[in-house]
Amino acid sequence: MDYLGQQLINGLTLGGVYALIALGYTLVYGVLQILNFAHGDVYMIGAFLGFFAMTWLGGPLAPTVPVALMLLVMFLIAMMGTGLLGIVIERFAYRPLRNSTRIAPLISALGVSILLQNGALLIFSPSIRSYDTSSYIPSTLGFSVGELTIDSVRLGVLVLSAVLMILLTKWVNGTQVGRAMRAIAYDKDAAVMMGIDVDRVIRWTFFVGAALAGAAGVMNGLLLRGVSSGMGLIPGLKGFTAAVIGGIGSVPGAMLGGLLLGVIESLAQGYLSTNFADTITFILLITFMLFRPNGILGRPMMVKV
Amino acid sequence: MKLFSKLSAIVASSALALTGLVAIATPAKAADCTGTVAIMAPLTGGVAFIGKEQSGFAQVAIADVNAKNGSKIEFKEYDTQLDAAQAATQAPNIVANKSVIGVVGPAGSQEVLAVGGLFGANDIAVVSPSATRTNLTAGTYPSFFRPIPNDGLQGPGNARYMVQTLKAKEVAVIEEKTAYGTGLAKEFLAEMKKLKVKATNFAVNEKNADYAAVVTRISKTADFVFVTFQDAAKSQQVAQELIKQKKKAVVFGSDGSDQPTFKTPGTYVSGFAPDVSGLAVAASAVAAYKAKTGATSITTFGPPAYVAAQVIAEAAVRACAAGKTGDRATVLAEIKKTKIKKTILGGPLEFTATGDVKGGRFYIFQTQKDGSRKSIG
Repeated sequence: MDYLGQQLINGLTLGGVYALIALGYTLVYGVLQILNFAHGDVYMIGAFLGFFAMTWLGGPLAPTVPVALMLLVMFLIAMMGTGLLGIVIERFAYRPLRNSTRIAPLISALGVSILLQNGALLIFSPSIRSYDTSSYIPSTLGFSVGELTIDSVRLGVLVLSAVLMILLTKWVNGTQVGRAMRAIAYDKDAAVMMGIDVDRVIRWTFFVGAALAGAAGVMNGLLLRGVSSGMGLIPGLKGFTAAVIGGIGSVPGAMLGGLLLGVIESLAQGYLSTNFADTITFILLITFMLFRPNGILGRPMMVKV
Repeated sequence: MKLFSKLSAIVASSALALTGLVAIATPAKAADCTGTVAIMAPLTGGVAFIGKEQSGFAQVAIADVNAKNGSKIEFKEYDTQLDAAQAATQAPNIVANKSVIGVVGPAGSQEVLAVGGLFGANDIAVVSPSATRTNLTAGTYPSFFRPIPNDGLQGPGNARYMVQTLKAKEVAVIEEKTAYGTGLAKEFLAEMKKLKVKATNFAVNEKNADYAAVVTRISKTADFVFVTFQDAAKSQQVAQELIKQKKKAVVFGSDGSDQPTFKTPGTYVSGFAPDVSGLAVAASAVAAYKAKTGATSITTFGPPAYVAAQVIAEAAVRACAAGKTGDRATVLAEIKKTKIKKTILGGPLEFTATGDVKGGRFYIFQTQKDGSRKSIG
């Protein structure tokens, strides 16, 4: 039971990160019906921004401010930076293609992805950066219940993911921009006729989606290993898988899909094979694509005939 | 007149032929001893620091050989990113470059597997400073050499050290599914079986990012976790995750973990080369490397690259002396005859018939509280 509990904790933490990435995919898809395949690289930029913020504040070995403040600044800079990057990507890579064929923004997304990866390689050099979390948050700090242990970093990631998801839900349901976003997702033409500023709402969508990816990038840095220019590919694909499993376009679906994917991956590693967890993940993606393309919480698309 | 012309032509052509023969048989002047040493290393990518250090030391060795012999051997870098596909893309460029007389590298065993055949077919000597997979010297790649020991020594050596010196009773192995990781884990597990110590293997994908689930699977009674990663940040993550999950096992990394990012105190790592910082024989090479690159410290990856480049460059000089300047087959034959009394690694160097170093051994280090490594075996 303890073993299962530990694997569930591992999975939920990982799932929290996947869910935040998945939310970016789902928000953009919900509004624009495009797959933003540069999203994994925005997550990578977020991890770099968090790292540089940490270095700016003295680095892992000698932080010049209290650790809690340093972490707050790392998240804020990463989220603001990636949020603005999201707006720039939308403005230059997607907006000019908004009325073109459906394949055009997809190709543009792949181009942006390669641009970000190679740009990061050139600017940040190929070295792997480490958040070196154990230098300022001791690995021994955490809680134990029987044989079950949860360290402070995993707990923090889990709590922060949950808080960000709750805030997002409130923003989508309770604010004017959120309502406008849902209106555009429901019927863009009608939303325009009702006087909604579509460009503004789309800008907000990209900002929020990218900011969540930035937060996920910092979480990855704190939780897992080094930060490098190629780190966005696999988590990006897993975030996409989570969005598809949950139902792409559905905000609760992305959250559920992310958490489910993390737990499945962890249980697969814990009970089936440590080697084939990724294979299982992508088999799951294909299975959902084939048998339930709308995902768990997604709605079938209505087409006017 | 006609007869005179014919005689003149015969005399002239004989003289020309004779001159040519003399030219062939005469050893080249040192200044005419040229050739290019290709350096295949991960110059970009996740482990670029390895490539930069290997290339830096190789360049110092070539400069030293040139200074000693008056030769004009050059070098050219080829980036492989520690990736077999990238190495396979670079290899034909090296073969096509007629001035190349030998290759320092590639760094990884999987890369040697990808390019060793092509270089062998073209008589290009390949001297890798860090590829340790055992079967690379099984005879498949006749032009392959290494100045470092192979995993046939590392895997069993680490197993014996863990059991006989560190008194391990139960061990877990995290086998990264790469040519390097799988081969090494196999050697290690076979020795553990011989030593009758319980060893549980966990195979993991190279792209895996989170090791928490794997660590959860490791028994609480395991004494050590032997890891075969090539990225030390993964070894560090496993070491930290063991602490977080309150497991007593200590990480013991193979030479792939011998990088500064793996710094949890109390952990162990094996290296295919000694720490040369304190060796008098290495002092000048280390100083030259630091002056050239601005580096303040070195790992165990660089010095063997010095030896690899030295082996090729000195063989090239001997080929020049035999009148075979730039001839790949002659350089290859000369490398087989290599006999260096004392390399910067502190010992003599000779190769076995299959390209392994004679009398090679691995070194064991333990990480100290300040993150530095202490040689313990």
